[in-house]
Amino acid sequence: MSKNIINIILLTLVSTAFFSCKEKPDPPEVEQHIVINFDFKNNGEYLEFDTMMYINEAGNHYMVNEIQFFISDVILHNSDGSEFLIDDWKDIHYVDTDVPATHNWEVFDNIPAGEYEKVSFTFGISEEKNHSFMFPNPPERDMFWPEFLGGGYHYMKLNGKWLDDNQQISPFDFHMGIGQIYYSYPDSITDFVQNAYEVVLPNSSFDLEENSTKNISFIMNVEKWFESPHTYDHNIWKGYIMQNQEAMNVACENGHDVFTIGF
Amino acid sequence: MISCGEDKPEPEPFQPTPYQIEVPYGFPTIFNIPEDNPMTVEGIELGRYLFYDGRMSGRTHPDSLMSCATCHIQANSFECGINHPEYIGGFTHGITGKPTPHVMLPMINLVWNSYGYLWNGFVSKDNPNPNYRNIEALVWMGIVAEHEMNSDTNLAKETIQNIPGYPELFKKAFGSETVTVKNMSKAIAQFIRTLISANSKFDKYMRGEVQLTQSELSGFVLFTTEEGADCFHCHGGFGNPMFTTNLFYNNGKDSLFTGQFEDLRDRYHVTGDPMDLGAYKATTLRNIELTGPYMHDGRFATLDDVINFYSHDLVWSPYVNPLMHHINNQGVQLTPQEKADLKAFIQTLRDDEFLTNPDFGPPDKFPDEE
Ligand code: HEC
Ligand code: HEC
Repeated sequence: MSKNIINIILLTLVSTAFFSCKEKPDPPEVEQHIVINFDFKNNGEYLEFDTMMYINEAGNHYMVNEIQFFISDVILHNSDGSEFLIDDWKDIHYVDTDVPATHNWEVFDNIPAGEYEKVSFTFGISEEKNHSFMFPNPPERDMFWPEFLGGGYHYMKLNGKWLDDNQQISPFDFHMGIGQIYYSYPDSITDFVQNAYEVVLPNSSFDLEENSTKNISFIMNVEKWFESPHTYDHNIWKGYIMQNQEAMNVACENGHDVFTIGF
Repeated sequence: MISCGEDKPEPEPFQPTPYQIEVPYGFPTIFNIPEDNPMTVEGIELGRYLFYDGRMSGRTHPDSLMSCATCHIQANSFECGINHPEYIGGFTHGITGKPTPHVMLPMINLVWNSYGYLWNGFVSKDNPNPNYRNIEALVWMGIVAEHEMNSDTNLAKETIQNIPGYPELFKKAFGSETVTVKNMSKAIAQFIRTLISANSKFDKYMRGEVQLTQSELSGFVLFTTEEGADCFHCHGGFGNPMFTTNLFYNNGKDSLFTGQFEDLRDRYHVTGDPMDLGAYKATTLRNIELTGPYMHDGRFATLDDVINFYSHDLVWSPYVNPLMHHINNQGVQLTPQEKADLKAFIQTLRDDEFLTNPDFGPPDKFPDEE
């Protein structure tokens, strides 16, 4: 027996012994995977940070310093009518422009091959899943939404600055999460509003071939937050909106077409 | 390997006892413990002796002793405190009288900080130099720093080596009686990682064990609302009981026109990112009432001064963090009642058990004492 063959036998022995220790079933023969990349654009160009180079629909000059957000319930809609919910242990995904590791989501699931018509997801976290304390570790932890304001986690923090009415550079914290209905502002809250909403990505049909890994990009087009159906003017809504359901509602309605897909 | 890991390793010359940190309710589950320094009961015991032993400075004359605990005092949440007899107003200086570049930082729950130690986060896993990556580094740095022990590491290790009792403790913890700076650092870092505060009045409130007073509750609401005092984005709250993000922000203390961004030890001098000019770590607010003076330069003596600052005295600069969205109103504009409530809440973060826990305090006697 040549040395190589002995090696192979040894290797097989070792690896069988190794596998027999785990209780996982043998891996299936064909596997398809997707990797979701997150990109940020403004008017079609990659977003640049920390520079007052953008003008929104309302005419506000503004800059973006950082964006942090959650998406969840990503669903791949097969053309045969079936739906595939990306549902492994990471079904709520956090993206942080300051943390490059969060920009690629290697979906753990083995996804059936086939033709997919569209992709949808929840922007933020749905009521069923948005529980306080589920992320004890940073960076997700630092997205917590105060108990008094409804608890759970911020859907998004988009922090930047704009040139305000007085020609002063003012910070804005475009933060979204559970909204509140006040009996008397800001002390007594009578109800909470779940602001998380569904996004259906336009032109998101794709084929997933057997034994392949598909790279797709979710692109946040930042200017769209401030565009339509409502023109969002920072001079009207000011720098902070966590306790302003009217403003958050505008943000959510504008948010439906903020994301596009890239292949 | 083939037998699924049931075989025992060769008997080792020493068997330190692994030490497991219990994660308190709501606390992070990921620790910042370097792979080459697992925590052990023996390591922690040794670390505690060294932390409190003035001969760590490599000197034995009673007038020239200095230990970590000379400055880091348990009763003050491991700061020197504003009423320190020698460090007037809480401003520390080294054995030669040279002032420390910044005022002190407490030692609380540091095992959960993965974003960097010191006011500017210089000591972190991102430091290209492996000698500056974790708490271990603060030990040898403390020994050699002119503004601290102003000694030399060879002197320190020889001094400890020659004290009866220590070599055996090093053997129990690390398998060799030879004292090395590396092992001294490891032991002290292990001890520091045990310094956990999770039993303040607020912790008990979170666990449903006590109620807060009306004033404390109002203060809590102020602390965690944007319309209120708006502290939580940087200093935590219910969902982040560390009461810090351990991140770095410019919180609007100075305008650049008055030339106040000249500190060579701000965050900018670590990252090179101009947005970090004048930025420092948002420290934990646990036990904060005991750790004046406040801010990296100790400019505020009392908590009232700090609250007044956030309320009325913010200063605009291009580098102020966007989370300081009250900047152009000079602050969050709290009323006297609101200030009192906010302070009452912040005081619920005092953890007396931590401040008096005998395991964190000085040992009854040192290894060479009867
Ligand atoms: C002369 C007083 C003094 C002595 C002695 C001293 N320290 Fe410190 N320590 C400080 C000061 C001041 C800071 C804040 C330094 C900074 O960030 O600029 C500090 C910060 C620290 C921190 C960082 C805490 C954090 O949250 O980032 C650690 C850890 C630490 N010291 C450990 C030690 C150890 C271990 C020793 C003994 C070897 C020691 N110190 C001795 C004054 C002292
Ligand atoms: C934008 C983030 C941010 C916000 C919001 C914020 N802080 Fe701070 N805080 C910091 C930073 C950064 C420091 C340290 C700054 C320095 O040392 O120069 C600090 C320091 C402090 C200190 C002194 C800590 C010490 O050890 O010396 C106290 C007390 C404090 N903040 C309380 C508050 C309170 C109360 C509020 C709400 C009214 C608040 N902070 C809001 C970032 C923030």
